[in-house]
Amino acid sequence: MNKFYTTLLAATMSATALGMVFPAVAIAESVLRIDEVAVGELDPAKASDYADSILMFNVYDTLILPQQGGPGQVPHLAKSWSSDGNSYTFELRDDVKFQSGNPMTAEDVVFSLDRMKALGQGLSFLFADVQSAEALGPNTVRFNLAQPYAPFVASLLRLPIVDKQTVMANLGDGEGEMKDWGQVYLSANGAGTGAYMVNAHNPQDETVMVKNGDYFIGVPDVAPHTVRLRYGLEAATVRALIASGEHDISSQWLPPEVLRALADDGAQLLTEAGTGAFYVKMNTTKAPFDDVHCRLAVTNAFDYGAAVKMIAVTDEISQGSPSTGAVPVGMFGANPADQILVRDMEAAKAHLSACAYAPEDINIELSWIAEVPLEERFALLMQANFAELGISSEIRKLPWALFTEQVSTPENTPDISQLFVNAVTGDPDTLLFGQYNSANAGTWQSPEYLKDDEVDRLLAEGRTAPTEAGRQEAYAALNARLMAIAPTIYGFDRQSVFAASNRVKVPALSDPDKAFGLDGMGFSFRLMEMTE
Amino acid sequence: MRRTLAILVGNPLSLLGLFLVGIVIFSAVFADFIAPFPEHRGAVVDFANFNQPPAWPNIFGTDLVGRDLFSRILYAYRISLVLGVVVLSIATPIGVIVGLVAGYVGGKTEYVLMRITDVFLSIPPLVLAMAIMGVLEPTLTNGMLAVTSMWWPWYARLVYNLTRSEKEEGYVLAAEVIGASRAYIIFREILPNCVPAIITKMTLDFGFVIIIASSLSFLGLGVQPPTPDLGSMVAGGASYLPDSWWLTLFPALAILIAVFGFNLIGDALREILGADQ
Repeated sequence: MNKFYTTLLAATMSATALGMVFPAVAIAESVLRIDEVAVGELDPAKASDYADSILMFNVYDTLILPQQGGPGQVPHLAKSWSSDGNSYTFELRDDVKFQSGNPMTAEDVVFSLDRMKALGQGLSFLFADVQSAEALGPNTVRFNLAQPYAPFVASLLRLPIVDKQTVMANLGDGEGEMKDWGQVYLSANGAGTGAYMVNAHNPQDETVMVKNGDYFIGVPDVAPHTVRLRYGLEAATVRALIASGEHDISSQWLPPEVLRALADDGAQLLTEAGTGAFYVKMNTTKAPFDDVHCRLAVTNAFDYGAAVKMIAVTDEISQGSPSTGAVPVGMFGANPADQILVRDMEAAKAHLSACAYAPEDINIELSWIAEVPLEERFALLMQANFAELGISSEIRKLPWALFTEQVSTPENTPDISQLFVNAVTGDPDTLLFGQYNSANAGTWQSPEYLKDDEVDRLLAEGRTAPTEAGRQEAYAALNARLMAIAPTIYGFDRQSVFAASNRVKVPALSDPDKAFGLDGMGFSFRLMEMTE
Repeated sequence: MRRTLAILVGNPLSLLGLFLVGIVIFSAVFADFIAPFPEHRGAVVDFANFNQPPAWPNIFGTDLVGRDLFSRILYAYRISLVLGVVVLSIATPIGVIVGLVAGYVGGKTEYVLMRITDVFLSIPPLVLAMAIMGVLEPTLTNGMLAVTSMWWPWYARLVYNLTRSEKEEGYVLAAEVIGASRAYIIFREILPNCVPAIITKMTLDFGFVIIIASSLSFLGLGVQPPTPDLGSMVAGGASYLPDSWWLTLFPALAILIAVFGFNLIGDALREILGADQ
């Protein structure tokens, strides 16, 4: 009898213990499964596209973070900052440790900037005007700029802080004192302070990350314990995996039809409000688009309504919102959200009659980027739209590599190119300067070859104006000017849409008050909540 | 000949083959009359009606810009058939002549010709075609060139082996004794005895040529849009499975019908002609 009770007691206790342990284990071992296009570049100084940004924002930290739910920045690795003309001084937190255990100091910040500038890849152009960074003390760092650059603080969102000691201990082969700047090591290993540590990394296949238990501001228990980021999954594969509960968040590159099918099956749709837009760019150096009236004719003939309809996912959610002009809604200088662009065939015909070229003599080369199938549909839409004006056109599919080569000379640049352009720091300067400054003509984002003194002047004013009101005014004037001379058809303001299982909650991608307004930052895993 | 036809029609499988091939040829030839929307083979958009499942009048549904899939498949057959005919009518004569000459003449000629053939045979066919298409611009003509270049060696190999055994036969020796020229012996004596095997292989190959051409356009190396093409339709639709199934299913079935039909006839011919010999 005694033995029976002992056994019963033991059984009850172990059951209770199991009951207590199981949920804890389930949360501790929660796995988040997501995907992106290949390749995943782990070296933070080379990060440029979306997959790279996801890795960078989780493995590394930056001095500041975007304010959630509004414009501006808040301290992160830095406690505070001040500016004095062309220099900016940051006070760093003294309680931050790298994943290696080394403390984070001003030396690491200086090293990170030097490394970024020395490699000159990724988004290093943001720091072209930064002459130097110097450590004024263990926790004080000063950046010296060559000339005023208002978006400087925002550009620090793209300066991940790297562990100097770890990198110096792992230099690969190369010339000079710094050898390869640790490129070989950092392309396969993480050396940041971030909330997630790299466990395994294959840039063509998969990156596995696990929670950093010593993160300086802690990682909530509900955040995923392990994250598997897979590269290059087919749309149909992602569709099947999410439906069967074997995948959690899709990439944003799924066609609208597939996102809609997933939503119909009960998946949630996450959105990241755009800091970019879809631009249809005209080559302003060649007939017929060297004539402003011909450009205005096609911008008025473009069917903006059909474009927005084409990218709609559900009645409420779309991969974009109607365009109001050259600057996306929400940025400095944007027009109000209700002043949307609409098709106006009367205006189009009036401009066409004022154009120096007769419609029957015009034959436009409409290009689309082979890697973005959605653009073929836009090419076919424009072909039909322009045909209503009596303008004929030919559609040409261009692989991305060939396109970037062709735009380097105005003669080879197609009459019409279709591009998605983003502000990499959320600031309009990083969206517009590269596209419309005459000195930058002929890059992948500037196939217009626009040469306009007024535009150049306003772009310079926007990046140097000392006050926010001044910048606002400069970008509003720039927007009006870009509408008047129409080098581009401003197709729609872009929004990224992701399909997700119901195992995860992502406030930064579903609650506008928690949104970061910076591409990729919504994928901060530490702010996600696993529900099972 | 009449007996061959009688057997073809008498066998249910080969009858099915004839029927399927008949559908394909009929669709391709009369596409202009059958297609409900002949203009949809070109650059047409109808965004009011895109990505619709099969329903009247779009019995195979519409594609992602609202074009009628049924009409586009009919026109795609036309391109597949032209491609098959052109490729085989160039590859077969080249391969046959190389095989006959190498097999009958022998010696150094045989050595050189057959080693060149071996080089082509040693490269995987799709890889060879991809390499050619990668260098040239992806157009229909270059697609035919690429497929042709990988097809002739198989005929050379087949005819070479046949010639080697035929040249020891009594009728060849007899022709040599009475002083017939080499050309006469090769083309008037040996070739007619190889014809049944060549025709059988051509029928079987027709389906494979269509598959290879579709594979090339599946990889983006074939016919360029908006020209309809079965392989690119399957490739383009695959991203939208399983929801928009009609984008992939109907073009894939169209490939199946053509390849299956030609193979059934080829199999039947092989049996009949093999028995004749």
